[in-house]
Order: sequence, then C-alpha cells, then structure tokens
Amino acid sequence: MIEVRFHGRGGQGAVVASELLAHAAFRDGKFPQSFPFFGVERRGAPVTAYARIDDRPVDVRTSVTAPDIVVVLDAGLLRRVPVTAGLRAGGLLLVNSPRRPEELAGLGPFRIAAVDAARIALRHGLGSVTLPIVNTAVLGAFARVSGVVSLDAVRAAIESFSPARQVENAAAASDGYTDVVTAEVGPIPELGPASPRTVPLVLPEDPVASRSSETLPTADWRSLTPVIDLGRCTRCNFCWKFCPDNAIEFDAAGWPVLRGEFCKGCGICAAECPPRAIAMRAEA
Amino acid sequence: MARLTIPAPELMHSGHAACPGCAPALAMRLLLKALGPSTIVSVPACCWTVIATPYPTTALGVPMLDNPIEATGASISGLRAAADALGLSDVRIVGFAGDGGTSDIGLQSLSGMLERRTDAIYVMYDNEAYMNTGVQRSGSSPKGAWTTTTPVGERSHGKAEPKKDILGIVLAHRPTYAATLNPSFPEDFVRKAERARDLRGPRFLHVFAPCPPGWKYSSEQTIAIGRLATDTGVFPLYEVEEGTCRITRTMNALKPVAEYLRAQGRFAHLNDTDIAEVQAEVQRSWDRLRALARSAERPWPPTLSPPTPA
Repeated sequence: MIEVRFHGRGGQGAVVASELLAHAAFRDGKFPQSFPFFGVERRGAPVTAYARIDDRPVDVRTSVTAPDIVVVLDAGLLRRVPVTAGLRAGGLLLVNSPRRPEELAGLGPFRIAAVDAARIALRHGLGSVTLPIVNTAVLGAFARVSGVVSLDAVRAAIESFSPARQVENAAAASDGYTDVVTAEVGPIPELGPASPRTVPLVLPEDPVASRSSETLPTADWRSLTPVIDLGRCTRCNFCWKFCPDNAIEFDAAGWPVLRGEFCKGCGICAAECPPRAIAMRAEA
Repeated sequence: MARLTIPAPELMHSGHAACPGCAPALAMRLLLKALGPSTIVSVPACCWTVIATPYPTTALGVPMLDNPIEATGASISGLRAAADALGLSDVRIVGFAGDGGTSDIGLQSLSGMLERRTDAIYVMYDNEAYMNTGVQRSGSSPKGAWTTTTPVGERSHGKAEPKKDILGIVLAHRPTYAATLNPSFPEDFVRKAERARDLRGPRFLHVFAPCPPGWKYSSEQTIAIGRLATDTGVFPLYEVEEGTCRITRTMNALKPVAEYLRAQGRFAHLNDTDIAEVQAEVQRSWDRLRALARSAERPWPPTLSPPTPA
C-alpha cells in the first residue's frame, strides 16, 4: 500500500488533487482512497488531504501519519507546517517550487522532486498570480516521479472529474510530467519500515478554551504583504479601522505598524488607504 | 496618539480563523468595541463558531457560548435569566448568528426571544447564504444570486426567490430597537451598537457582511462592495427606536444597482433585464423606507408598546 499526504492552502486544490489521484489510480485498476483532513477549510489556510493506493481493497480509514509520499502544493508551507512529519526515510517529497530540488535537501533523507507548478498553471490560465491553481500540474509531476499512476490515467481523471477547465488542466498535468526534476542528494536510505501508528489522544484540560487565539499566528495564510509608505501616510487610521484581522497597530507617534504575524494579506488596507500609501508586495 | 473615530480597545483577538477579507470578522471587532468587556456572546453553528475557536484557543476577549444553530434566541433568553438570577443585571447578553441560523433555522427561537421581551441584543450577520458549509442558499440570499444550490445553467438562473425581509419580521414584534449596520461605515456601526447597548429589552441588529469566497470577489473589495450596497439602496442604513424610523445615511440619488451587482461573480450571469428588475425593486423599497421615515405615524402606537422589563 502506498500512502500519500497532500499539503496546500485553501483554494489551491489540494483536496481535489487527492481525489483526482484516486480516480486516476482506479482507472489503472488499483484500489484507491481519498479524503481531506476536516479542519479550517478557509481560503489561504493550510489544508491537508490524504490518499491511499493498493492492489487490494484498503481497510484502514484513519489519517495518514506515516506517508510514503508527501506532496507540497505551496513551498511557503515548508517554513511553518511540519510537512515531512512521519515521512518514511527514503520516501518521496514532491514540492511545487521554482527552486532546484538540491536546494531543498535540508528537509531530510528523502528523494526530493521539484516542479514549478505555479508557472505552468499561469501559462495555462489556471487561477491568478496571487493564487495559481497548481494541483493538476503537480499531479502530472507526481505520475512521473512516483510511478504509482500513469500520466494517461491522470489526464483521463482530469478530463472526467476536474470541476472546470478540463483541457487546460490536462495540459498542465502533461507539462508537470515533463518539467519535474528529481534529486538524490547524499545517501538516500532504502525505504524504511513504517513507524508504528499511534494516534495521540489529546483531551482538553478544561472544557473552556482559555488561551487567546493570538498564540496562533496566521502569517502563513498570506501571499502578499502590505508595505506602508510613511512618507505618504496621513495617519487617517483607515487601515486600522477596516482590518478584519486586527493586524494594524500604532506606534507612540500614531503611525500605523503592521502586525506581520497576523496579517492574512487580504489587501483591504491598501484598497481603502485614501493617500494610497500602502502597496501589496509579494513576500521575498 | 492617533485620531480615532471609533473606540481603541480591541476585544476580538487576532489569530482567528476567518478567511482573508472577512466582513463578519470586522463586524465582531466593531461590535465588541461598542459593547465593551461586560458582555457574553452566544454563537450558534455558523462561520463564527469556527472563526472564534481554533482549538484550543478563543478569539474573543469576552465569554462565548457555543450553541446549536436553531437555539440562539432561546440561548440568550436563558443566559439573561441566569445572569439576572446571579445579580449580574449589568452584563450584556448578545446572540451573534448568521442569516441561515436566524431567518431560517432559528426563526422560532428569535421570535420567542422578541415576544418574551428578553433583555438582550440579537445580531444577525448577513452574508446571504450558508457560507460555513460551502455557500448553500438561505432565505436571506438575494434573488438572482448564484449559490451551490441555486446554480447557473440551462435550467437554473441563480436563486429564483427574493430575499426574506428579516427586519420586517423583527419589527412586527415591536422591539425596543432595531437597526441595519454595515462595517463599511464603522462610525455609524459603532454608534448604533452603542445605542443598542444603552437600551433595555429586545434589540436586533442586522449586519451586512460581504463574503469574498461566497460572493466571488477579490478579498480587498470587501469594504468597497459594502459601501456600494448602501449607496445603491440595496442595503440602506436606518434604525427604528420604539417604532420611529430614521434613515442614518441619506442619499439624494441612489447609485445604479449595476455597480454593486457587476462587482461580484455571484451575479455575473445577470443580463440587463435582470438588472433592471433588481433596480426597480430596490427603488420601490427605498421609496417605501423614505416614506416611513418621513411619516410622523409610527408603525405601532407607543402606548401599546409593551413595557420593557424593569
């Protein structure tokens, strides 16, 4: 049995990618399974989905905690989400990134593959610059580097089940298949045994949530960051007044300061700023 | 220090789980600024029950009770009775519910709370569909709107039925205070929430709450779309206190409703005839509202207004 875990952000198509993979495996005569983690399915928020593929019916129904393959649809998640947790030594890590896979070698003793799926998606008009829909390009790359499903089956699954833009999505899968690069950096161990599956049972100490949500930064939801030009700022406070995330505060002199750990990059402050002193910039 | 037009203290915490550009999140932030710390909020199943509780934390600096979707009105009635029994008569009891949980599933509970003259504030944040479960139509979805259950295709042209007039239903119960609020107008929003805070008896706030993923527009447009809703007459701002209606944002001429509709993907399929129909309906409602506000006649005689609880 092959166990796969997908990491993405709400809106990128991680859940659909896991479903399409299952459809493709079914076409190849396998027994697949696919389901999302039931969590905060908000646009921009980290999202997890699972798939299992076997030659016989799959009985296990739990979350994938010791995957053979991890797929990361947004390289920004590498910094904040423990995407490689439980990934078996010698397992496959496929990342949507314009970087060379060798540059990602620090992530662990894995076979690492990289594909610039955002560029492929934009070339086929899938999604926007701030939120390219990268799932199908990544699935094409997955077919190539995993060998678990065929590209033909992935394309057929997209043409039958993709919610929209089937032609463009199938073309993106083919490009992902062609463009993906794999690196084997240093000694890669043989695929080790799965770690024992223990599900930690965390019970609340108290039925009352007493910790503030400010212990949970939301910076990794954002793809664009507001940059305030204090030279043009008139201290009108519109950015503060309209922020749904309470992510603007003031310094002692009344100038606005971004609380970067909580800004989700919605862009309201930039759109509402009367002197246009705020620009939304891509994160470096 | 900065020149502020609304109160500085923040009782809504960052780190909540709302989507980027979420108007209901801004609405909660503004509401708690007005109501202050001596407040208990009861939230039924809706976006806010998820927004407020990224486990094991809370995004509210005041106590919050999570309750079933149909139970907000009953829940705040019970909270009021319990607070009074404990001698906490100054505590403000607030229900904060979505449009589905209010105007559809929770309607009997809301009606009961209003009819019992419960001393509490009921807030309905109206994002015009069941957004938390993935954009299914509600009684509060406007005519023509795309939702996942009113799709656009050969045999469906968005929602076929008009939006339910929740404030009309509420006013039939003769509340102490009822008002429409829009987070695109924060000063008006806070002033009305403060007015509700200072009165006793049943109070109802109808909050306009644009939703970027559900209404299909880019998140930075939330405030602009809210402003257009009011300036086109789609969501006029007014308040009714003891039966007397006052428009709080007066306009000599409404902006064309097309400006509001064209800004949102959920209305992208509407043709010019559809838009003319919406325009005519909006104009009728606006004229009716202005006539009501001009009239000295109250919808019910003040002497018949039931006494508010001592």
